[in-house]
Amino acid sequence: MATKKEEKEFEKERKKYLKERMKRMKEEGLEKYFTPEQIRYNRNKRIIGAVWPIFRFLILFGLGFVIMYPLLFMVSTAFRPNAEMNDPSIVWIPKSFTLDNIKQTATVMKFDIFSGFAAKDNTIINTIYLNVISSVLQVLTCSITGYGFARFKFKGRNVLFAIVLLMIIVPPQITTIPLYLQFAYFKLFGIIPLYSGGEQLSLINSGLTMYLPALFANGIKAGLFIYIFRQFFRGLPKELEDAAYLDGCGPFETYIKIMVPNAKTSFLTVFLFSIVWYWNDYYVSSSFFTENNTVALMLKNLDANLQQQLFQGQTVSVRQIIVWLESGCLLSIAPLLIMYIFLQRYFIEGVERSGLTGM
Amino acid sequence: MSDIEKTNAENEELEQLKDVPEVKLVLDESEDDAPAVTEDASTEVAADEEASTEAEEKSYASAAAIPAKQKGLKIPYERRKALYGYGFIALWFVGSIYFFIAPLIQSLIYSFHQTKIVTGGMEMSNPGFDNYYNAFRKDQYYLPALTKMLKDTLLNTPLILVFSVFIAVILNQKFKGRTAARAIFFLPVIIATGPVIDIINGNMSTGGYAGGSEQFSSMFETDLVDQLLNFLGVYNISDQLTEVISALTSDIFNLVWKCGIQILLFLSALQGIPFSAKEAASMEGATAWEYFWKITVPYISPMLIASLVYTIVDSFVDPSNEVMTLVLNQSKQWEHGYSAAMAWAYFAIIGVILAIVLAIINKFVYYEVD
Repeated sequence: MATKKEEKEFEKERKKYLKERMKRMKEEGLEKYFTPEQIRYNRNKRIIGAVWPIFRFLILFGLGFVIMYPLLFMVSTAFRPNAEMNDPSIVWIPKSFTLDNIKQTATVMKFDIFSGFAAKDNTIINTIYLNVISSVLQVLTCSITGYGFARFKFKGRNVLFAIVLLMIIVPPQITTIPLYLQFAYFKLFGIIPLYSGGEQLSLINSGLTMYLPALFANGIKAGLFIYIFRQFFRGLPKELEDAAYLDGCGPFETYIKIMVPNAKTSFLTVFLFSIVWYWNDYYVSSSFFTENNTVALMLKNLDANLQQQLFQGQTVSVRQIIVWLESGCLLSIAPLLIMYIFLQRYFIEGVERSGLTGM
Repeated sequence: MSDIEKTNAENEELEQLKDVPEVKLVLDESEDDAPAVTEDASTEVAADEEASTEAEEKSYASAAAIPAKQKGLKIPYERRKALYGYGFIALWFVGSIYFFIAPLIQSLIYSFHQTKIVTGGMEMSNPGFDNYYNAFRKDQYYLPALTKMLKDTLLNTPLILVFSVFIAVILNQKFKGRTAARAIFFLPVIIATGPVIDIINGNMSTGGYAGGSEQFSSMFETDLVDQLLNFLGVYNISDQLTEVISALTSDIFNLVWKCGIQILLFLSALQGIPFSAKEAASMEGATAWEYFWKITVPYISPMLIASLVYTIVDSFVDPSNEVMTLVLNQSKQWEHGYSAAMAWAYFAIIGVILAIVLAIINKFVYYEVD
């Protein structure tokens, strides 16, 4: 095997040789070697090869700007004094920078990392707790389920898998209200009242509303994750398991010792997506939490909270509080963005290589 | 055929298979590949499949007319594996009964009742189709919102798909800064699902602040599109056409922001195109245009279905679309039965549309493994 460096050199030499040969051919007259169609084809290819990169750059740059625009605007606004917001001479770069907006917004959103680790009072710590625990549980259970669907044949597998597909298609809005009632009067098929002596147990506001579904592979977007894992496990060679079985591994042991180490990329991808979706979720959490603060909920209510705390309850237009809103946005996506910058390789390659390809 | 007969036949079949490992492998693959082809997030297809496997079982049974010679262990190997299979999905199964199926059925029941929240649960009265009747015949917002939503989806879905294929093809080429470009184009995937996009779009409150998208379009507002239409000579031919085209061009912001996952899906499909296909095409002298239509499109067509379903479902469940807003508003006013009826009707319509679209598209999809 040639190394990369060597291959590059070979490529160079090949090109050089082709160029020289072309030159020689041109001197003798191209018609001798090629049909007119071939000449035309090569010419077109050369022209396109020269022009296309320019077009490609323009397209990508333009569309990339469309995507980056809100983020740039966010950064530009978040560090800008409120007074300069209405200055028409400022488009992107403000005349002076300030951290006040960020600090004030952080107070309103209870975002203070240094104020202690009392989970319920601290938005970001609380969100991280919820996110990481739910995501870890979800990844583990979804992978087990996905493996079950991928490698075992049992009666009714297709019907059960149809339920997984249904989980992807049915929006959470349909099931939220019955689920709310189930959590608010938590009976668990009538088992709980037997032990608590008829007392009502309510899970609303408790992290359990997130952890329990995740533990049973029914968290946010669980259907999609089961699907991804199933596709991935199906793509692994069967010989791996057969070897393990021959050596006397049970199925569960095989899964832990053989399949999990092989599915690392898939695990990471699903874990990252799970973190992102839990972080961004406000529909499910706003239904089950009234006092429990998550970043997404805080951002959703930032408008009202700002008016209450910064403007003493006056009604102000969004135009007046835009700097605080944008700093709130920046604060709430900053952890995700930082994670994305370091791990974007895994987001992209993970999905390319893992399950989704065989969809 | 009775159940016992069926299981007996299956046992014999399985034991035979145990003796001849090669045959088993072949059979396994043939049965495994078929689902990969059709299971594209559609219950309809899954149901078909169920029917086909049943048919298969039957054919096994008739083929296995040879009497069993050996009784083997207590539980046959394959049967034991099936039991382990149940073990692996047990956790999910219990969970989905409690956290998914039960609420789903419950909400279907709500939709047929007048509901009232009382301590300890939901009180239901007055069963019947009233909620559905009201939604379609009396509600002045529901039907218009529904038709508008369907129209938008019909218009946006092909646009999103074409656009994502285009971007995916570009991002799949080799050039400097490709990693950076990819990172930027997937950024919407991590941002667009959260409440941040609401603030960006200015949906959160309408206090005179034009959100990012409007701001963006007004920043670059030109008559370029109109001029282009003029130049092509199609301006003012039909007002509706002009309207549609200018609506599309001014909505480029939302279009780009909705395409993250689809681009990802297509890119992964593009990576799956074998190098030999590309080589063969260039040997035969295919132009880029021909290459795209004859190689790229067939290879990514299975992913087209996945993206299509994802796009439709995504626009369907987006909490900011009009029907969903109606549904959520009703549920905020404690009209849970009515809200459930609206959601279920909407869900049923989308389901039917999905089934039809999938049935049509499935005919044009090329699968390498047949």
